[in-house]
Amino acid sequence: MKKNFIFSIGLCLIVTFMMMCTPQQSEKSEETSVVEETHPLGQASVVDDVSDKNILQVAAGSQAHTTLVAAVQAAQIENVLVNAGPLTVFAPNNGAFDALPEGTVDNLLKPENKSQLATILTRHAAPGSYDIEGLKREATKGRKIYTATGDYLEVVVDGDKITVGGAEIVATIPASNGVIHVVNKVILPE
Amino acid sequence: MKTLIKINSLLIAFLTLITISCNQGGGESSNGALSSNIAEKVYVAPGERDAQYAFLSGGYSGNLTVYGLPSGRMFKEIPVFSQFPTSGYGYSEETKPMLNTSFGFIPWDDLHHPDISQTNGELDGRWIFANGNNTPRIARISLSTFETEEIIEVPNSAGNHSSSFITENTEYVVAGTRFSVPVPQRDMPIKEYKSNFKGALTFIAVEPEHGHLDIKFQLLMPGFNYDLSHPGRGKSHGWFFFSTYNTEESNTLLEVNASQNDKDFIAAVNWKKIEEYVNNGGGTKMPTNYAHNVYDESTHTATSTMKKEVLTVNPSEIPGAIYFLPTPKSPHGCDVDPSGQYIIGAGKLSADITVHSFDKMIAAIEAENFDGDAYGIPIIKYEDVVAGTVQSGGLGPLHTEFDGRGNAYTTFFISSEVVKWKLGTWEVVDRQPTFYSVGHLMIPGGNSRKPHGKYLVAMNKITKDRYLPTGPEMEHSAQIYDISGEKMQLLYDFPTHGEPHYAAGCDADLIMNNSKKIYRIDENMHPYAIKSPAEGKVVREGNEVHIYMSTIRSHFTPDNIEGIKVGDKVYFHITNHEQDFDVPHGFSMIGQGTSEILVMPGQTKTSLWEPKKVGVWPFYCTDFCSALHQEMQGYIRVSPANSNIELSWSLDE
Amino acid sequence: MKKASILMIIGSALLLGLFIFPLWNIRLGAPQYPDPLGINIHINGLQGESEFDIQNIDGLNHYIGMKTLPKPDDMWEFSVFPKVVLSMVVIGILIGSLGFFGKISSIWFLLWFVVMGILGALGVYDFNLWLVDYGTDLNPNAILKLVNPDGSPMKYNPPLIGHKKLLNFDAFSYPRLGGIFLGIGMLLSLTGYFIGRKTTVNSN
Repeated sequence: MKKNFIFSIGLCLIVTFMMMCTPQQSEKSEETSVVEETHPLGQASVVDDVSDKNILQVAAGSQAHTTLVAAVQAAQIENVLVNAGPLTVFAPNNGAFDALPEGTVDNLLKPENKSQLATILTRHAAPGSYDIEGLKREATKGRKIYTATGDYLEVVVDGDKITVGGAEIVATIPASNGVIHVVNKVILPE
Repeated sequence: MKTLIKINSLLIAFLTLITISCNQGGGESSNGALSSNIAEKVYVAPGERDAQYAFLSGGYSGNLTVYGLPSGRMFKEIPVFSQFPTSGYGYSEETKPMLNTSFGFIPWDDLHHPDISQTNGELDGRWIFANGNNTPRIARISLSTFETEEIIEVPNSAGNHSSSFITENTEYVVAGTRFSVPVPQRDMPIKEYKSNFKGALTFIAVEPEHGHLDIKFQLLMPGFNYDLSHPGRGKSHGWFFFSTYNTEESNTLLEVNASQNDKDFIAAVNWKKIEEYVNNGGGTKMPTNYAHNVYDESTHTATSTMKKEVLTVNPSEIPGAIYFLPTPKSPHGCDVDPSGQYIIGAGKLSADITVHSFDKMIAAIEAENFDGDAYGIPIIKYEDVVAGTVQSGGLGPLHTEFDGRGNAYTTFFISSEVVKWKLGTWEVVDRQPTFYSVGHLMIPGGNSRKPHGKYLVAMNKITKDRYLPTGPEMEHSAQIYDISGEKMQLLYDFPTHGEPHYAAGCDADLIMNNSKKIYRIDENMHPYAIKSPAEGKVVREGNEVHIYMSTIRSHFTPDNIEGIKVGDKVYFHITNHEQDFDVPHGFSMIGQGTSEILVMPGQTKTSLWEPKKVGVWPFYCTDFCSALHQEMQGYIRVSPANSNIELSWSLDE
Repeated sequence: MKKASILMIIGSALLLGLFIFPLWNIRLGAPQYPDPLGINIHINGLQGESEFDIQNIDGLNHYIGMKTLPKPDDMWEFSVFPKVVLSMVVIGILIGSLGFFGKISSIWFLLWFVVMGILGALGVYDFNLWLVDYGTDLNPNAILKLVNPDGSPMKYNPPLIGHKKLLNFDAFSYPRLGGIFLGIGMLLSLTGYFIGRKTTVNSN
C-alpha cells in the first residue's frame, strides 16, 4: 500500500515536471514565426551610389513615379527591378495611375491585395532589353513583347508615337539593368 | 522497508534525470535567439568533420572545388581542365597530355556540371564527371585520389553544355552541344545555319570497372541549342531528356530572336533503343579527330591518343527513339524527379514551371497522337504530356532538385529565390530569398533515386554586398539552407571559387573511407622512378639530361649536380620516398618556365628546366614538409655550352 | 590432480600465442598523427602497426639522433626468445602430461611457474635496458639536441608500461594479446599447482 502511494506521488511529480517543460516550447515557436513575417532584405537593399542607376533607383528618383514606387514597395517586388535583368519596364507615371477609376490604387495598395498588385506590375516588365529602336524592330517584324506574367503586348508605331499594349511611351530612360519606357497608361489585362 | 528505500531512491534518481533534461531544454529556448540555433547547425567544432561533401564546379576557373556541408569550408581545389601551379597539373611532363585536344594543348576550360557516378540510381561515390564547355571535353575524376584521371574530347560539338550527366548505372556519361555547328565542320556562310547546322548529343560509354570512357555513338539532332539534360531513372531508365532553346534556329541576336517561339522542346531520347540499334551494326562511321587522355595511377603518367572516327546516328534512321515534348519559353533546367515519373522543364522567361509526365508521354507515343514533327521527329501534343504546371509566383525559373520526400525545389533567377513545391499537387509550400540571382542549386543526391536531403546549396551569380568588398571582382556567393523541416531555413553564406554552375554532393561516409592516403612506392611503375634514394643518378642523352632525384625529410638525393650546360633540356624526375600521409614535397628551380611540382608520397613527377645562364643555381622544396624544410635545398652548376665539365652528382660527400 | 594437470597443459600451450600475436605494443600519438604510429613487439622482431609506421618512426627519430629501430638480425633477443618460449612450452606440456598420469606431483608446476617468472623478469629487464639505450644513446651529430631544464640531455625512451610524454608525442606502452596469453598461461600453471596440492592433501 505504502509502495503504491509513493509511486503515485512520483507520477504526479513527473507530470508536473513535464508541464513545466511545455510552455517554453510554445514560446520558441512563436519566436520563429515572428522572424518569418519580416520582409526579407534582398538585392534592393544593397547600398551603392557609384554604379549606374538600376531601374528601381531611376524610378525612385523620379517625381513622376511616386505612385509606381509606392506600388512596387507594397507588392514587395523591389528585388526584381534591381536584378541583373536585362529587363524592359513600361513604367506608368503618376498620371496613369490617377486615370484609373477612383479608389483602385488605394484598394490595390492594401496588404491583402499584394499578389494582385504584383501581377499588375510585373505585366509591365519584359525580359530582354528593348530600346526604342528595338521596339520599332519588333513592330516591323510583327512580333509582340512577352512580359514576365506571360502576356503578350503589341507594339504599334505611328509616326513618332509608339504604343505598347495600348499605352503610349512618353519618355525613355536607360538604366544599368535595362530600359525604362515611361508610359501614360496602366496596362491592364485584355 | 528495504524495498521501500530502494524504490524511493530509484524514483529520486528518475526525477533528477527528468529535471536535468528539462533544464537543458529550457536553457536552450531561453538563450533562445534564433540565430544562435542556426549557428549551431553550421558549427563544426575544431577537429570535427562535416556530414557531407559538396563538389562545386568552378566555371571559368576550369576546376572543381570540394566543400564540406554544413560548414561551407573549402577542402580542396581539384584541377580538371586548367593548368594548376599549386600541384603542377598541366605543367608537369606527366600531366601535360591531359590537356591535349584536337586544337592542340588547351590549358583552360569552363567547367559546368559535376555528376557523381551511380549504381541502381543511387550515388556510389566512385567517380565524379565534369564537362568542359568551351573546347568540348568530358573529364572523369577519381573520388579516391581526388585527381583527374581521364579527359575525352567530344567531336562535332560546341559549347558542351547539356553535359556531363550520367545514366543510373553509370552506363553512359552524356554530352550535348549547346551550339549547333556544321557537321562535319566546313567553310560556309553563317546565315545558312537553318537546317544545315546540327546538334550532336554524345553518349560516352563508361567501362564499369575502371571507368574508362569511349564514345559509343553521337546522335545528330536538328540545329537547336541543347541546354541541359538529365537521365530517366526508375521507370524512365533508358531515356534521356534534353531541354532546347532556339528552336527558331536563329544565328544572330539570340537574346531576341531565340525567344520568339512560345514553346521550345524537351527532347526525349530512348538511348536503350539506339544502343541496341548500334550494337546491331546501325549508325555511320564518320572520320573525325579528337583526343582521349588517360592518366595511369601506377605510372603516375598521362597519355594522349588521337582518335580518328566516331559513330553517328541520324534520328531519321531510327524512328520511335526520339520525341519532342513542347515546353514553354526557352526551357533551361531539365530535371527528373527521384521516381523517374516527372520531367521538369523550367522555361527561363516564364513565371511557371512545366512538369511533364513520363507515363503520359508513353501513352501518347503508343496512341501515336502527335502534333506534327520537326525534321521528322514527332512532336507530342503539349496537353497530352503535361502533368501540371507550378504557378510559382516567381520569375525566371532555372533548376530543380529533389529531397526524396515528395518535394521539389526550384531556383528563380530574376526574383532571386528558391521555391519549394510538392510533386503531384504542384502547390507552392515555401519560398526563401537567395543573395542574389541564383543559378543552380544542389541537394546532395538531389538528382538520383535517393537524395541525401538534409541541406540545400543555392549558388548565386551576384554577390554585391554579402562580404567585405574586394574591388570590382567578388567571388560568387552560395547559401546553405536546412531543408529537413517543412520550411526551408537559411543557415549560412559562403563564398565560392570561380563560377559554380552545378554541383554534386553526398554523405561523407560514401567517400571518406576510400580516400587514398599515400601511393605505395613499391607499386610505382613510373619509368623514371627510383625505388630508394640510393638509386639517385643523373643521365645525359645528347642535350637531354635526366635527373633521377629522391625526396625524403629533409633532403634531396642528389643535391649537388655539376656538368649541366646552357642549352640542355633538364628533366627533374622527383620521386617522393615518404610513405606517410600528407607529407608531400615540392620542387622548384630558379628561372624555370613552368610551375613548381608537388609530389605526393610514393609518387614521381617530372619538371622540365632549360637553363639559359651560366652559374650555380639553387632549387628547393616548396612545401613546408618538416622542421628542416628550409634546409631542403640543392645546387646545380650550369657551365657554358662548350664546356667539358663531367656530369657528376652527390649528397653529403 | 587431473584437472590441475589439464590447466598446466593449457597454460603452457597458451604461450604458443606469442608466435602469432605481439607481446607488447608501443604507440606514439601526436596532433599531426591522429592515427598514432605504432610498433608491435613480437618475440621474433618488431612490426609496424600500419605498414609504414616503422619507416615513419625512424624518419622522425633521425631528427633527434635516435638509432633506427632494430631489424630481427640486429638483436640476439629476437632469435633466442622464440627458442626459450618454445622450450618452456614443451617442458610445460611434458610436466602437465606427467602430472596427468600421476608420475610427478604438482610442485613441478610451481617450479615451471617460477622459472617462467624469472625468465619473464629477465626479459622485461632486458627490454627496459634496450628502451633506455634506444632513448638515450643518441647520435652526437643529431639535428635537434634538446636538453632538460637542468642542462642534461633529454631522454626519449618510451615507458616500460603506461603513458609518457615525449616532446609533442604521447607514448603508450601496453601488453598485447601475446603478452596477455603469456600472463594467463602463467596464472593457469599457478592455479594448477594450487588445485593439485589441494587434491593431493585431500586424498592424503
